[in-house]
Amino acid sequence: MIEIEHLSKRYGDNIVVDDVSFTIGEGEIAVVVGTSGAGKSTLLRMINRLVAPSAGRVLIDGQDTTTIPEDELRHRIGYVIQGYGLFPHRTVAENIATVPRLLGWDKKRIATRVEELLDLFQLDPGEFARKFPHQLSGGQQQRVGVARALAAKPALLLMDEPFGSLDPVIRGKAQDDLLAIQRRLGTTIVLVTHDMNEAFHLGDRIAVMDQARLLQYAKPADLLTHPAEAFVEQLVGTAERPFRLLSLMTVQDAMEPGHADGEPITVSATLRDALAQLIWRGRPVLPVADASGAPIGRISVDGILKHGRPLA
Amino acid sequence: MPTLRPTLHLDRLGSVIAGLIALALFASPFVTYRANRIVSGEGRLLVDALPPAGALVTIAVVLGVALCAALARKPLVRLAAASLGLCVIFPAVGFSAGFVTPAGNTFARVSPAIGFWLLALAFALLATDALTRLRLGPWGRLAALSIAAGALALLLLSGAWNDLSLMKEYANRAESFWREARQHLWLALGSMGAACLVGLPLGLASHRVPALRNAILQGLGIVQTIPSIALFGILIAPLGYLAANVPLAAALGIRGIGAAPAFIALFLYSLLPVVANTMAGLSQVPADVIEAARGMGLSPRQRLAQIELPLAFPVILAGIRIVLVQNLGLATIAALIGGGGFGTFVFQGIGQTAIDLVLLGAIPTVALSFAAAIILDAIIDLTRRGAA
Ligand SMILES: Nc1ncnc2c1ncn2[C@@H]1O[C@H](COP(=O)(O)OP(=O)(O)OP(=O)(O)O)[C@@H](O)[C@H]1O
Ligand SMILES: [Mg+2]
Repeated sequence: MIEIEHLSKRYGDNIVVDDVSFTIGEGEIAVVVGTSGAGKSTLLRMINRLVAPSAGRVLIDGQDTTTIPEDELRHRIGYVIQGYGLFPHRTVAENIATVPRLLGWDKKRIATRVEELLDLFQLDPGEFARKFPHQLSGGQQQRVGVARALAAKPALLLMDEPFGSLDPVIRGKAQDDLLAIQRRLGTTIVLVTHDMNEAFHLGDRIAVMDQARLLQYAKPADLLTHPAEAFVEQLVGTAERPFRLLSLMTVQDAMEPGHADGEPITVSATLRDALAQLIWRGRPVLPVADASGAPIGRISVDGILKHGRPLA
Repeated sequence: MPTLRPTLHLDRLGSVIAGLIALALFASPFVTYRANRIVSGEGRLLVDALPPAGALVTIAVVLGVALCAALARKPLVRLAAASLGLCVIFPAVGFSAGFVTPAGNTFARVSPAIGFWLLALAFALLATDALTRLRLGPWGRLAALSIAAGALALLLLSGAWNDLSLMKEYANRAESFWREARQHLWLALGSMGAACLVGLPLGLASHRVPALRNAILQGLGIVQTIPSIALFGILIAPLGYLAANVPLAAALGIRGIGAAPAFIALFLYSLLPVVANTMAGLSQVPADVIEAARGMGLSPRQRLAQIELPLAFPVILAGIRIVLVQNLGLATIAALIGGGGFGTFVFQGIGQTAIDLVLLGAIPTVALSFAAAIILDAIIDLTRRGAA
């Protein structure tokens, strides 16, 4: 658990982060969004003390981070930045081995870990281990960047616009991969992004920042239904609100008993995808099937639409 | 339908080289004959400089190379032709010395003349052009250099050049030649080493502390603008004072003139390239690489040793290459103030109007600089690990 308590950062008279407090639960993904210059990166960099706070403190599992030596703290926290910052003179394997080497792991353990991570990120060790960063595509570099950050099995991963320089298709895939890996490893993640779709896709909770202040820290659905300030509403996008809300729920949430004709929709699909199916096929209602394909109920346009607005 | 006609393709540089060869062969003397080492001499065309059969063969080979230069397109063929040409004219000029000198005459001197030098230049141009077109890797270039050095050593050790005036000058001072060679290398390499020892930390400091940067660069820039003679003059007073008042300095051989001011002058000239390139190398390390290194918990020292220096190394080496080539040439002027080195022969030769003595000092200097440039370029290429 990460507790951020009254964290502030000042450069001269300029307040860059102003009294920000929030808590990130074990294994959760907290996404920080906000306009450019809002202080997102500064907030993130105060967690691993790349920036020294002017006031406030950060607790990791109850321990004040200032009681841990800086380098040691950073060995325990993964860090991924937009350009990845891969070391150009080191191979992929050497890049990934950076922190384990600093920690003095033995060679065999490092080699095993590197191979494990390359497999996890779908990079064939035989092909990629000996390549240099400039020989990789943007998407491959990104995966190596995340693999490197996870090498020493950190409980916390900080990511500053980690998908910022990927094209939309690769970006979607990278987000899904990150989610899958995060669910598997149970890593706590704090991720900074500009992209609201990304925030709603990945975030268990979303922190909205503007002009150094934290405006709201809430579950994605609450952010949509109960925005704390006009700025939050605006950032979320009034035109997109219903669809974002639907994408946060699955067919399970709006399923009705009964029967319908046609190709069934799976119960784990998001309501947004289900609505798209109904519109495209010109049907008011379609059957719902479970993972094995057995029919378990039905879903209707009206039923879905009711979920696209705050409950009265 | 296009007509298929065999066309002769004229290579542009090759044609120039061929013209140069023709000029050298038919319009310029191959060797100069002088009755003794300081009188002015008379030129001998190649046909007169060798016995008829030898002259014929040499002319045939040289013309063949000219033809190759103008017409052949494969770099390997051109390289082979140039090498063959060099392998013929170098022994030929040595042989010519024995042929032209009257039997039993120990005063007469024979030197390569403009014709020989033009031929050597033409062949060397052809060879370097071919080597460039071959795009040799660093190891290939080092191998080519070793072969050239080996061939030169073979030529000199075989005694084929012993009758040439240049080698007679050498024979008269073999001992001092090697002593000055050592001194020359010590001056050039020692001052370079000292410049690295001081310049690397200075470059690092000015990279880290922007306030220092301008002061250091401007100071060193001013040193670069002082002519060497003036710098010697400036150094005489403080060094003389040091020698007179500090016994240790005197014991170390530090005096107002001699090797010490030469060494210090070379050292001062070397500082700017080392400092400037260290700074440039460090500042071109990408910011996100440094940020990532910090974020992963590399300590400042680990960051410097594992990330910044390795990434800056090729640029720093480029600075060292500049210094090395510059120092090997510049060390010649040490002789002006009694500092020794190959310059000794150059200035003696100028004093005595003995051009071959000048060459005895100048040729090794040029050859050393040339070899140093090739070796360091190859090393720089080899250290660019992982670069695009
Ligand atoms: N070292 C520094 N010295 C002075 N001001 C700084 C420093 N670092 C950041 N700032 C200022 O703090 C503010 C917040 O910067 P920060 O990088 O945290 O914003 P951000 O929300 O990450 O923006 P972006 O989305 O563009 O990355 C900016 O106005 C920036 O100019
Ligand atoms: Mg930022």
